[in-house]
Amino acid sequence: MCSLHLAYVSKHRRPLSDLRPGDRGVVARLDQQDASRADRLLALGVTRGATIVVLQMFPGIVFQCDQTELAIERAVASAILVDLASS
Amino acid sequence: MACRIVRERASSVPLLKLRARPLRLALVGNPNVGKSVVFGRLTGQYVTVSNYPGTTVAVSTGRALIGAEVFDVIDTPGVNGLEGTLTEDERITEQVLATGGADLIVQVADARNIRRALMLTSQIAAFGIPTILALNMTDEAWARGISVDADALAEELGVPVIEMVAVEGRGLRELRDALPRATVPSIAIHPTLTNHAEWAHELTGRVRRVSALSRFRVQEWLSRLTREPATGIPLLGVVLYLFYLFVGVFGAQTLVRLLETYVFGRGINPASIWLANHLIPFAWGRDFLVGEYGLVTMGVTYAIAIVLPVVATFFLMFGFLEDSGYIPRLAIFSDRLFRTMGLNGKAVLPMVLGLGCDTMATMTTRILATPKERLIAILLLALGIPCSAQLATIMGILGGISFAALLTLFGVVLGQMILVGWLAARALKGERSEFILELPPIRWPRFGNLLTKTRARVWWYLGEAVPLFLIGTALLFVLDRIGALVLISRAGEPVVTRLLGLPASTAQIFVMGFLRRDYGAAGLFQLARAGQLTGAQSVVALTVMTLFVPCVANFLMIVKERGTRVGLSILGFITPVSVLTGAGLNYVLTAFGIRF
Repeated sequence: MCSLHLAYVSKHRRPLSDLRPGDRGVVARLDQQDASRADRLLALGVTRGATIVVLQMFPGIVFQCDQTELAIERAVASAILVDLASS
Repeated sequence: MACRIVRERASSVPLLKLRARPLRLALVGNPNVGKSVVFGRLTGQYVTVSNYPGTTVAVSTGRALIGAEVFDVIDTPGVNGLEGTLTEDERITEQVLATGGADLIVQVADARNIRRALMLTSQIAAFGIPTILALNMTDEAWARGISVDADALAEELGVPVIEMVAVEGRGLRELRDALPRATVPSIAIHPTLTNHAEWAHELTGRVRRVSALSRFRVQEWLSRLTREPATGIPLLGVVLYLFYLFVGVFGAQTLVRLLETYVFGRGINPASIWLANHLIPFAWGRDFLVGEYGLVTMGVTYAIAIVLPVVATFFLMFGFLEDSGYIPRLAIFSDRLFRTMGLNGKAVLPMVLGLGCDTMATMTTRILATPKERLIAILLLALGIPCSAQLATIMGILGGISFAALLTLFGVVLGQMILVGWLAARALKGERSEFILELPPIRWPRFGNLLTKTRARVWWYLGEAVPLFLIGTALLFVLDRIGALVLISRAGEPVVTRLLGLPASTAQIFVMGFLRRDYGAAGLFQLARAGQLTGAQSVVALTVMTLFVPCVANFLMIVKERGTRVGLSILGFITPVSVLTGAGLNYVLTAFGIRF
């Protein structure tokens, strides 16, 4: 049961950098390795539980987080883990 | 009995409360929520209002009489947080609050985005200053199907919550009335950013309702057009072309010709020459005012007839782009390029602002995260970004020659900036920060703000540039009189004539360029139109002038922001770089026989 649950989570939990335009989800957690990066994202409202819609992946990544539209580079996107909404 | 009531009223509502000093009211909030609009409404003073985060990077203060109380209203740079990693402009706001610079806080919030606003409220509460929360742009929130229960929010926070639409003046009276009721928020002080965020997320869920509106919105469609490469890049081309038509053709050619030929050529100049001839008995006095280097015939003519039309048309068009929210979207396309120069896409803001005025843009570098990024941005601004006045003279001269000439100049300047940026990124110590930028919503600019902003900037230009143009002209007059101009031309000859292949007379124009680049560019403009410069010479001369030393105001701003040593180093670096680039360009053009 437990392992099944984990498998379910990992299947739908992906870094923002792996998503495609139109994908929706909820921020699961931020990679805390780079503290100042996490601070900046937090201050812009990218926090656990915030809803996300991916708008564009190239040439830069653009996504809407709650009511804020943010443009970020790939390295930042890979630090944002998203639980995808089942579509 | 009646008497007592009257006395009570008299004592509780005095006409003017007397204090040792006015109460200080700080407007605090996330970037781009309308603090400067509220400031303007409260004080009647205009500070620049635009639609992108980072318009305000310094504190403005204005006085307002509200009820019986005199306030010093403080407009602060927008902040996303007051704790943790702060940029230089955010630190300014944090300092105002931390050093007791405010007796009262009005937190301005975007009603649409109260989740982020509440995160800030939670941090503001820690300062223990009486606060009011103003939910601005409630009209836009409604249009997007977002409603906030202001009463419930006021209950939760324990502070007055005012709904308003500041650009239309709605809710301002309620805000003024609420000022005496400001209280310290009655919420728990949270220790970490994550705690602030969790609290704000949870409270938002209770007071905000988002209904799924699916109706087609022009704004969103436009927003997509501007940021997706397939449409965004052609759109950039269209925007640049329109800019060229309005500023380069209409401003720099049609309006300049009109002013120069009719207003100055047939009106002001002949009239002042006539007046001078009749009123001033000394030849040198007449020359000083209306001679070859005359204050009126050269100084005023340059400033008003050549540069002003361009600056005015530029600022009008530029204001339109600023208010539409378009400029930050360019960061998406330019991020990779800026990364090779040790910056990130956010640097597009100061760079594009530099096209208006490098001095202002130098201040805007405060929005960049690391000292290294700020230094590189300041260097590149001083090196290669032509300000509006300069840009216009460039377009005025080269537009008349050929499009290839224009492309050559911009290609060389851009190439030089990328090279210098690339080298600086490797030579300087420190790090680049990662690209994270908030994109403002696309909006249709408000005509009133556009006019007010353009007028304020044109006045600022007149106040800033005209005195320097006059001083420069007077200086040239004196140099000419004592025979120094000939000496300078002769001393400059090895460089100007041999290295750059320009007529010796351009040496004095570079002297003018030391004072202001646009003044020098205006000098080139006249020289080119008098037929004294060939196409290739024009391109070389303008390339050097564009890369040339920053104007006095910009230099002083660099010194103020980064210190004298940095200022002098930049100056000492840029002067040879500009001349050598010009020499290289001249060599290539001559070798290949390119004439344009």
